[in-house]
Amino acid sequence: MSSHFKSIDQVVDELADSSYIADRALATVLFLAHRLEKPIFLEGEPGVGKTEVGIVMSRLFDTELIRLQCYEGLDSSTALYEWNYPKQLLHIRLEEQGKREREKIEEIIYSPEFLIKRPLLEAILRSEEKAPVLLIDEIDRSDEEFEAFLLEVLSDFQITIPEIGTIKAKKKPIVVVTSNRTRDVHDALKRRCLYHWIEYPSFEKEYKIIMVRLPGIESRFAKQVTRFMQKARSVDFLKKPGISETLDWTMALMTMQRDYLDENVVIETLGCIFKYQEDIKRFKEEIWADQETRGEYLTD
Amino acid sequence: MIDEKRGLGGKVVRFAVFLKCRGFKIFQSSVHDTLRCLEEISLEKKEDFFVSLRSNLATTDLEWIQFRDLFDQFWNRVNEAKNPDKDELEPERERRKEDLNEEFLPDDHVDLSTAANNSDKKEWLEGVAYSPVSMVEKKDIGRFHRGDIQVAQLALKKMMEPFKIDISRRSKRGRKSGDIDFPRVIRKSLKTGGIPFELFYRQKKKRLKRLAILADVSGSMDRYARFVMPFLLGLRGVGSRAEVFVFSTSLTPITFMVRHLNVEKALKRIAMEVPDWSGGTRIGYSLHQFNRGHGERLLNRRTVVVLLSDGWDLGGKDLLRREMAFLSRKAYSVIWLNPLAGDPDYEPLCRGMKSALPYIDYFLPADSLQSLKRVGRLLSRIMIH
Repeated sequence: MSSHFKSIDQVVDELADSSYIADRALATVLFLAHRLEKPIFLEGEPGVGKTEVGIVMSRLFDTELIRLQCYEGLDSSTALYEWNYPKQLLHIRLEEQGKREREKIEEIIYSPEFLIKRPLLEAILRSEEKAPVLLIDEIDRSDEEFEAFLLEVLSDFQITIPEIGTIKAKKKPIVVVTSNRTRDVHDALKRRCLYHWIEYPSFEKEYKIIMVRLPGIESRFAKQVTRFMQKARSVDFLKKPGISETLDWTMALMTMQRDYLDENVVIETLGCIFKYQEDIKRFKEEIWADQETRGEYLTD
Repeated sequence: MIDEKRGLGGKVVRFAVFLKCRGFKIFQSSVHDTLRCLEEISLEKKEDFFVSLRSNLATTDLEWIQFRDLFDQFWNRVNEAKNPDKDELEPERERRKEDLNEEFLPDDHVDLSTAANNSDKKEWLEGVAYSPVSMVEKKDIGRFHRGDIQVAQLALKKMMEPFKIDISRRSKRGRKSGDIDFPRVIRKSLKTGGIPFELFYRQKKKRLKRLAILADVSGSMDRYARFVMPFLLGLRGVGSRAEVFVFSTSLTPITFMVRHLNVEKALKRIAMEVPDWSGGTRIGYSLHQFNRGHGERLLNRRTVVVLLSDGWDLGGKDLLRREMAFLSRKAYSVIWLNPLAGDPDYEPLCRGMKSALPYIDYFLPADSLQSLKRVGRLLSRIMIH
């Protein structure tokens, strides 16, 4: 596989080869991000395949995926690097009887061997021969302090460790940042990225995704499931089912040896589609109670 | 080809300005990057051109949704060689005048422009001053006992106590308690040859929660004026992070006056700058203004929003419901103080209150400073559990 995007069409094709069905808009953004060496900032409802973009990018470039899952309280010692203090302490103890000078010991305990590399440092170190893909997942969960710190790293991929010196990435990693919009991410970060909003897939796209992801599924069944999901998404649920729910559900149905949707099996597996009790209740009462709408959901 | 590109570059820059006028956040660097992007793609496909512009110039979902329309608008117009940024203020003013209609639901375009123009006080007030419901006569807002401010201050402090401290997951150096700070212990032990004589600790950092107060000063709240003003002015003593707004038919920030002026001056300025004191009420629209104009800056998981209103609303109820939902999603906690709620027979029957109720974390009565104290006690009891 080529490690170099030459045209947008090529990106579309390669994405399809890696079984990621993307529209041309996303392919264009990926292409531009690669050519301009800019991070990609992805937003969208949960379960539309944001994280998957990072994974598929690493497959396309045949390179490593380094993932940084954000959470509140994430700080530089868990994202960047940390000294292995217990190991350092032990080493000092062992050296006590020895005749080594203190400076020498210091040099040893502050060598890279005693460094715990966290994702960001890893991404920079691994870029020696091949730029890795750095996936910063759910940035909206981290706090503002971390965002500000991330800015610094993303702008020049350079980290200074006082005891060792400055480490700079040879090649800029491909960075994919995702967010679920639980809070607004600061402009300064967005400004440095290419923005893309991933929408719920259209019927054709969702059908294609099922066919590609779950080989062995009957085309008629896939269509029926897709139609059901597309319809379910038109209702204003607390959490609309995403494409990942579609895949989970279809997989569950296939495991149950089903190849056709009927009224009972939908009720039995409702937990795969809706993740809130309120939604399940609403679905049962407002949609499933009515014979006619039930029919509409189940047509094939 | 180069000539053509230069022409295109100019157009792209003008397009960025065009978007900026419509409330988009456009950065110098994004315009620069847009131009760099255009070097990379072939310009024959309009869709690719569109996507390149969009990925660089849109930064939120709201902008993303509007982008296609604005793109079409501009690039079709550019071909007709018109000046893009002239004729947009007029229709917006027209819109504001219409917005008292019951089913008024402002569309995103207008919101963004209102938010962007908020700093432009004069224009903003002009829009506000036109209101058939607003009364011409201004009530004497200084009609209360000055000593009440101190009483209010105490009550507010009490009330905010349970919300005051927000334990961060980040830590700072602590005195003899909390977790052991290993990096520091090691660093300090170096001078004793690696033997840690002294222990250091880390504690979770505590920070103040941020407070946003929105007080209703419409006609129906006049009865409680003796309480509202000291309540607002009492905020000058509560931490540094309180932001104060008053609303009737629209929203006015008065934080500056409350915080930085002495009482008499503040009252004078507030009377001058709040154009429709004792006017009608549009809670929904005022909240909308708050969410759009100040939400991004003020609302996060550290914000406690306090609404002081009796819930009588003349605006559309869908708007109120939507904005309350937004508020409750963004803020840490929403407290609604309702002067009427103290009455045991009171039921939130009026339309506004009813649609807002599901989004309120604490619905509490407050019609005087005494009841405010009670609220304080009540809240601390709730929060301990």
